[in-house]
This record gives sequence, structure tokens and C-alpha cells, in this order.
Amino acid sequence: MKYDIVIIGGGMAGLVSSIYLSKKGYKTALVSKGDPICCISSGCIDLLKTDDNPLENIGNLPEVHPYRRAGKENVKKSFVYFKEMMEEAGLPYYGEEETNRTIFSPIAKKRETALVPMSMKEADIRNGESLHIISFKGIKDFFPGYFTDKFSNSKCSVYNDAGKTTISIATQFDNSDFRERFFNWIGDLNISEDKIAVPAILGTKNPEYIMAEIESRTGKKIFEIPTLPPSIPGLRLFRTMKAHAVKHGVDLFWGDAISEYKEDKNRISSLIINKPGRPTIIEGKSFILATGSFVSGGLFAEKTDVRETVFNLPVSIPEEEERLNSNFFNPGHPIGKAGIRTFENYKPKDSKLENLFIAGSILENSQIMKYQCGHGLALVTGLEAAVNCEEYLK
Amino acid sequence: MKATYEHCIRCTICVENCPVFKVNPDYPGPKQAGPDAMRFRIHSEDKVDKWISLCTQCRRCEQVCPYDVKPASLILESQIAYVKKNGAVPTQVMFSNFHFISHLASFFAPVANFATSLGIVKKMMKLIGLRDDIPFPKFSFNTMQRKKIKPVKGIRKAAFFHGCYLNANAPDTGRNIVKLMQDLGVEIIVPEQVCCGLPALGNGNEKKASSFARKNAAVFAEKVAEGYDILYSCTSCGHSLIHSFPEQAGTQGKIVADNSWNIYEYLEKLIEEEQITLRQQDVKKTISYHVPCHLKGTGKPYPFLNLFKTLPGIEIHAIDDNCCGFSGSYGFKKKNRDTTDKLGRIAVNALLEPQPEVIISDCGACRMQIENFTDVQVCDPVEILRESLK
Repeated sequence: MKYDIVIIGGGMAGLVSSIYLSKKGYKTALVSKGDPICCISSGCIDLLKTDDNPLENIGNLPEVHPYRRAGKENVKKSFVYFKEMMEEAGLPYYGEEETNRTIFSPIAKKRETALVPMSMKEADIRNGESLHIISFKGIKDFFPGYFTDKFSNSKCSVYNDAGKTTISIATQFDNSDFRERFFNWIGDLNISEDKIAVPAILGTKNPEYIMAEIESRTGKKIFEIPTLPPSIPGLRLFRTMKAHAVKHGVDLFWGDAISEYKEDKNRISSLIINKPGRPTIIEGKSFILATGSFVSGGLFAEKTDVRETVFNLPVSIPEEEERLNSNFFNPGHPIGKAGIRTFENYKPKDSKLENLFIAGSILENSQIMKYQCGHGLALVTGLEAAVNCEEYLK
Repeated sequence: MKATYEHCIRCTICVENCPVFKVNPDYPGPKQAGPDAMRFRIHSEDKVDKWISLCTQCRRCEQVCPYDVKPASLILESQIAYVKKNGAVPTQVMFSNFHFISHLASFFAPVANFATSLGIVKKMMKLIGLRDDIPFPKFSFNTMQRKKIKPVKGIRKAAFFHGCYLNANAPDTGRNIVKLMQDLGVEIIVPEQVCCGLPALGNGNEKKASSFARKNAAVFAEKVAEGYDILYSCTSCGHSLIHSFPEQAGTQGKIVADNSWNIYEYLEKLIEEEQITLRQQDVKKTISYHVPCHLKGTGKPYPFLNLFKTLPGIEIHAIDDNCCGFSGSYGFKKKNRDTTDKLGRIAVNALLEPQPEVIISDCGACRMQIENFTDVQVCDPVEILRESLK
């Protein structure tokens, strides 16, 4: 199979660049060895951890950070692109690049993020607002006690007639009979608190229609709280983007790692997946590597070295002194700087491969844990790499 | 480096994709049933539990695992160990030997079909653990093996692996596939064959599955030596040919795996090699395509869809998020009724959403299950391709 662009990595960076390029009319393939970290995430899009204007604060990042290379304007453009794309795909997002909003973590800690799915729009509660927490009997991945302990003016009601896991309850919410029983129950509670909060289980698809019905029955605004993995909002985000990519003509190769690649005059010509039966051969004119950092398997740490797992590209890592002197448990350990060094046009610096572009957290100095910018960085660099790849193909 | 159960980081991505976990609280999900429990199963500790049989072997967990851990394979291993230790229950014996039953039943087809509809027989079936509330598949006397189409010389030679369902339960569909290939210039033969072995494996009988695989591999490897390619239409048979045969039938098994083609993938290849051209007319229909789990598991763009990419009028909605819940013999068992029905309902609701005129699926068992929930016409994808070639 022959493609204009082959993207490696099915996470946020790979998905957004595949959608962008396929929409532009390029024959695009997306290769992933499995589902990405995105589907166990909160489903929110972080731009940058700050109490202030996240977009402006990009200027305070180290000069080597990928956001600095992209520039404020392109960061903004990428976020706008994402919002328009999600609107079109049927899972709209809410928020601005200039202000962070707050959401709750599963243990009632507040945390900042830039964009939220509509189901978490109301989570940005003001001081003094009272909450009515809805929980489910025996649910394993959500603990309402954290919330009722923290907010003295909150109350909790427990629904007895549902499953015990987020996945099973969300599946039940897809069913109209179950929904009707739940709507009747919640309507009868006569909730007097300002807002209703539920663990994120309101169906496996965009839950806006379920929220609207609850709001009409109770007269109160409702929002979802992300749960421990499995995480339904993350799953919704991933599945919606993946379906959107397929709808726009992206061919998916899913479930197997790339075994080797073929090279012709400093250009990658094809990827090969060896598995039982005949190998799968994916030919392309250009390639984007968006396989993520350590957790996603794009980088692999050996005892003394760090390896890039697909093309064996040289990986830049911080000096030993810096690595070993840091407190291991502090957020943002310097090992987060490890990654691929690239030129302005997202081509790898220390490699002779001419038709390869790098995107996402595998980029050197991205430090997504330290700056809390994972999904945002993936979007921005995914689109930037795609634009440069497009330039190259012209 | 091959990943083992120890490479599992417990991210729960497999759990998110497990159909049984969604609807059956008795099943702990692929993470616990596979890699988690594996630690207790080594050192000959007796820790294989009854719920292990609740896994349908849809293998969705293996496709989504980002660390290349194979939960379904670990579970299958444990399912086999469980049956070895505790003995097979009647339904397991029956479905391990379904090949022989379907042979017998097709020979006595009218009697067998009459019998399976009788109250007394239904009661007996219920007694051994089968469901009596869904129709048992009807058997045909004129199986693919009994009524063969004479091969005609063509540009390529191919041997068709039809499997049990097309042979005994839907032989006309099977013969339509053969005719279609013949019309396109492929010299296609239907060699003598037995079951692919998947039902035996799923019911804990590894030995029987291997013996089936060896028998088939001997026949088909010889055909490959004579210049034939191997074609399959049933995606679960295809899964066996490619994934199980190399382990079960050695060198001959590997020859089969390397030379087996999904029929539409084969057509795609012949078109690409400019050996054939499809003169397709537009089919002005809205179609929902239930992608079987074992087709999704190939991890490649669906070849049937690729054949229709250039036709503007046809609207095919490929839906691959749902397991129909039937999973071959799994759905016939009384103990799985609730799981099977709930998953069937979810799958069919999704298929009906685009308001299709026809629902298609490559897998005979999926089609049977879908028919239990809707009056919309359900057929094999080959019928749509035939329609477009008229």
C-alpha cells in the first residue's frame, strides 16, 4: 500500500496530524501498535500549568521548549483548529487559551486545564457554590467521600440500581430504559444545592443530551468529574478523533508494532510489520514519528542509554550529573527532557533521513510532566509537523 | 523482544475495550483474567477460576494493548488448562466436535432441522446447557462439499477454505463466492477439508484443534506446492489459518499461513497487479457493515471497503466498535445468554442508527446473531459485490 504520508503513533499528535493532512487531500495512513494514553486521560486539553494566562506564559518557558519554537500564534491557531475539529466531529470542547479553568481530580483536588469537554464546563465552580454529588452503589473507581469531606456544604446521593465500574455504568447510560429510570430517580431527589456533580459515566458518547435532560428534570447545572482509569472522557476523546480520521479517509494500521523499515538514498521508503502470515508493508513518500515518550513506548530506557524504538534515532538526554542529582519524586524530573533533537522544520537533527518529521512528546525538551502540557503539546507539534511535511511534499 | 504478562503496566486500556466486561459483572476483565492472574498461575499454583470461560476470545484486548501483552492468548491458555483439570462439560464436548455434528446433521438435514425445532429436543438441548430460546442454525443437504462447482481454467489458481458454516449452513453463499471468483477469471477449487479448529480451541480441546489443523494443512500446503493460493471468507477461519496453524501444524501450517488471503484482499491484489478489472456499477443503497472482531484484529484497512471506494452512490457505514456477543459456540450456551443478548442489542442498535437497507457481515455467526434482533435484511458482503458486478 502506497501513501503520501505515513504517521506513526495513534495518540493526540498522530491523530490530529492525520486528520489535517487527509483533509488536505493527501493519502494518509496512521500506524499504531495499540490505543494511546489519551484514552485513560481526563479528556481535557492542558496548555500550560500556570495560575495566569497560559498562552502568554509560553514566553517564560525555556527557549528550547517546543512551544517556543512554534510561537504563541501557532499555539493559539492549533487550539482553535482543535475546537473547530471537535465541533465538527460531534464532541465539542470549551475554554480559552488565555485562561485556565479548573476541574476536579478524582480525589477532589482542583487542577487547571485549558479546554474541557462540555460535560466539564460547569466544573469551574465559584467560591461558596454548593455541590450535590451523585455516586453509584459499590462503584470501584470513584470515592464521593473525598468531596463531601472537602466541601462542607455538599451533599451526596447514591444510585443503587447500576453497575459497579465506570465502563459498565457508562454502557448502561447508552440505554434509554436505564436513562429513564435514572432521570426519574434524580428528578425525585429535589436537589437544592447549586450544582450537581457525577463521576464521568454519562454514556460512552457525547453526553450533552443526557446532561440536558438531567438539567431539565432538576433545574440544576451538572458536570462530570474524571475518574481513575478506565476514564470515559478520555475514551470519548480518542474514539471521536479516531472515527473522525477514518471519516476523512485516513487508513488505519492498528495493533502491531513496526518491525523494521526500508531506506532508499537517505529516505525511508516503507515500514514493515512482521506477524503471522505475510508481513504488512506500508510504503510512503514521507513519515511523521509521533510515538510519544517513555510511557507510550516511543522511547525506551536501557541501563545506560535511551533508545528510540522505531528508527533507532539518536536520543538526546540530560547529562548524568543533572539526572542523578535531582529528587526523583519531584514533578518534572530532568529525564523528561529526553527526546529527539530537531531542526526548525521538525526534521531530526542527528539523522540523515530526509523524509521524516517528529511530533509530540518525543521531541527533545518537551517535559510534559513538569509543565503539564501533554495534550496541548501534542496538538501544536502534531499540526506543525504536518504543515512542514506538507511543505516538503510540495 | 517478545512481551510477556510481566510487561503489563495495568493501564486498563484492554478493560476499556472488553465487550464482556461492559455487561457482565462476573467477569473481571482481560487485565485481571490475563496478566494479573498469570502471576498466580505459575509455580503450579492452582489458581484457574471458573469465570475464565466467560471470555469470548474476541481478541480486542490484544489489538489495543500498547505494550504488546496478549491478554486473550493468556486467557485461552488458562481456559484450556481449566478444561484439562476439571473435564469438559457437555456443551464443550459438543462444540469441540461440531465439525462431525454438522457433517451428520447436513446428511440428515430435513430430519435434523425438524428435530432441533421439536419441543422435546429443545428440552434435551437445554438440559445439556444449550439455549432453547434462539433458533439453531439450519443445515443444508447440498453442502459445498457435496455439490461442487466445476473449476474452469483461469489466470490464477486458488483453493477455497470455506469452513463449517458456509459448508453446512450457508452453502449457497459459499457457492456464490466460488462463482464470483470464477467469473473474475480465478480457477477456484474446493478441496476436502475439516473444521479450522477454532471451536475446539475455544472449548478447551487443544488436541482436537491441532489434529484439525494438521489435516487441513496437509491438504492445503500441497495445493500451494501445485501453485494455488488459499482463499477464505469466514474471518474466524482466516484467524485460525494465519495465527494458529503455524503453531499447530508446523512447516505445513506456516505455508498455509503465508499463502492465505481474505477474498477481498485477494481481489485488491489482483487489481493492483492489473490481472483483473472490476466493472462495477453503483449500488444505490445504505448499508451497515458489522465488522467481525477477527477482521478488526487483522489491523489493516478493511479490504471489502477498499473495493467500493470509487463508487459514489453506495453508502457503507463500517461499524467496528462492537462485538456482536455471539462468538461462535459461546452464544449457544445457556450460561452466556445474558451477556450475548446485551452485546447483541448494543451492536444491532449501532448498526441500525444509519437506517440501513441491508446489514452485511463476513462472519456467519455474527449474521445469525444480528438476525435475532432485527428484521432488516442481513447478508454476506459478497452479495453486495455481486450486485455491483451485474
